[in-house]
Amino acid sequence: MSSEMVRAHLNLGAVLKNLEVLGDVDAEAARVTEPWRIAVQFTVAFGPEAWLEYSATGCRQDLGRHTNPDVRLLFATPRHLNRMFDGTALPIPLTGFTRLGFLKNEFPKATARLEAVLKPKTDPLEDPALLAANTALTLYTGAFAVRALAATDPVSAGIAAGAPAGTLQLQVLPDGPAAWVSFGKDGVRAGRGLAEAPAARMTFKDLRTAHEVLGGKRDGLSAIGQGDVEVWGMLPLVDSATLIMDRVARFLD
Amino acid sequence: MDPYTFDKTAAWMERASRVIPGGIYGHFGPAPYVPVSAYPFFSDRAEGAYFWDVDGNRFIDYMCAYGPMIQGYRNPVVDAAYRAQMEKCDANSVCAPVMVELAEYMTELIPAADWAFFAKNGADVTNLAVMTARAATGRKKIVAIKGGYHGTSPWMQGPGHHGVIEEDTANIIRIPWNDVEALERVVADNLGQIAGFISSPCHHPIFTDNELPAPHYWERVEALLRANGIVFIIDDVRAGFRLHMGGSCEHYGFRPDLICFCKAIGNGYPISALVGGDALRGDVSKVFHTGSYWYGAGPMAAALANLQELRRINGPRLLRETGELLAAGMVDAARNNGFDLRISGEPSMLYARITDDPTLEMQQRWCGECARRGVFLTSHHNWFVSTAHTRKDIEDTVAVCDEAFKAVRAFYGSGV
Repeated sequence: MSSEMVRAHLNLGAVLKNLEVLGDVDAEAARVTEPWRIAVQFTVAFGPEAWLEYSATGCRQDLGRHTNPDVRLLFATPRHLNRMFDGTALPIPLTGFTRLGFLKNEFPKATARLEAVLKPKTDPLEDPALLAANTALTLYTGAFAVRALAATDPVSAGIAAGAPAGTLQLQVLPDGPAAWVSFGKDGVRAGRGLAEAPAARMTFKDLRTAHEVLGGKRDGLSAIGQGDVEVWGMLPLVDSATLIMDRVARFLD
Repeated sequence: MDPYTFDKTAAWMERASRVIPGGIYGHFGPAPYVPVSAYPFFSDRAEGAYFWDVDGNRFIDYMCAYGPMIQGYRNPVVDAAYRAQMEKCDANSVCAPVMVELAEYMTELIPAADWAFFAKNGADVTNLAVMTARAATGRKKIVAIKGGYHGTSPWMQGPGHHGVIEEDTANIIRIPWNDVEALERVVADNLGQIAGFISSPCHHPIFTDNELPAPHYWERVEALLRANGIVFIIDDVRAGFRLHMGGSCEHYGFRPDLICFCKAIGNGYPISALVGGDALRGDVSKVFHTGSYWYGAGPMAAALANLQELRRINGPRLLRETGELLAAGMVDAARNNGFDLRISGEPSMLYARITDDPTLEMQQRWCGECARRGVFLTSHHNWFVSTAHTRKDIEDTVAVCDEAFKAVRAFYGSGV
């Protein structure tokens, strides 16, 4: 599988997934998206598909096909999709021409907020709200990226195949965001929040520690040695998940 | 007893984190020590079966430097031989005669050995063994066991590990332990392409029970490899001289082509060895493999004295008895506190695991409580006993284990 294809899976399976909770961590995004009522289908020719739906109950996103999308967007190649995520290309609308105004003028407001949170221009450590938002979305992106890479990147698939079955819980203490990654015979699953019976746990002492370690500003082993990151349980799950997470940078900037 | 505290270890870790990648790298690194707060990471001194950390806490050591210590730290016999050699020379521009004396002794001691080649670390000689197998056969592929560990060279690591590229592991085929049928299939599928088969003599993976060879396993493996011209390599780096002075293959009754030794050879002094039979002497002599410190005479003198002393006192028998005593005491302590402790592997390098603990968290908590009370052992790796561990040490250890089990029970309450 080409690196553009892997990246397309990451964009649809991990980055876009953040729109589900963007409004929870970013007040501006919540204000902008609150009135939206629309379902959008993303299709890469001979590649992955995903959908995004804004409704009265919030935003939902998943891989696959929506049953009744308002807009269908086609991407000729994985690179085409990836360039849209970079802001350098536009999709080809197949249906929903009446909603093109929304796509051109409104939807970019959400993706702009997503970029502002995930790739902030100011230091999140100087802004508690930004720190919380950035850390949460980085953690969630990492968890869903493990799922995406295990399904598309042969090296990650090999790592996942060698992992013991079980769930790794990732959590920022004392009451920060949490996500989980589950390895099993049927592949890798991921989710936000607390898992029911994790076989391994990786906890970060606080948002600052999580931000620094997940962002590569501090080495994780030192953080473990200093007690700021704790691991418990089936540590091979931690090894496997972090090895795959470390591969994200090969595909996403 | 009052559990230990580790203020100075924490301060050293803080300093280390600023100047050393990961704080502490490799297998001494903190990641598998769970919880980190229960363990020391910097030692001040060591003697016999004990070491003292920088906080002044004394530990009965069941990791034995992860294997090198077999006759006690600062063993007087070994250290005297080392010091005597160091008075004369260590590393200089030519070899010292002790290199020949050590090779002569090892070829007399080890039935599979007609020659010996010395290096420093286990990976030096596992690399040499694989290069020799490829040189001798003109083939590329190496068969190894899933979960087997042969060092950190790229071919020995799993795909996806940092710094390892796909080509590094392209010619490594992994099969399950004790599975002769899997080996038969791999040999049939790669006819004429397999240079060597490398395995430890017993299976000692991490995070899971250790396993002994099944009846007739090695006999069948040896016959299959011989029939197909595949070089038979035993990685005895961890188990060597703990099961049998002639190499672990003598304990299990088989004869490999090459044996890799390290850890226990020098009782802590840095030396490793590859030994083999005459059939591969010519091939190994043509492989260019060397290192700046591989001719150091001090560790060779230490190794010679260590092996002689270990043979004199029948070290492997002592280690087995000590290991069996330790295992029995721990199992009893566990049972008395309502836990089931499963012992696996060889008694001299046993692995212990609390059953009904699929996540290993209870195991980690128990090992941590032992460490906080002066018994140094880890939850993920097999332990080692040495000839320096006394009956009193075992009794003290079992008493600590009992306290640690009580602490775990108190933590989990009646839910255990």
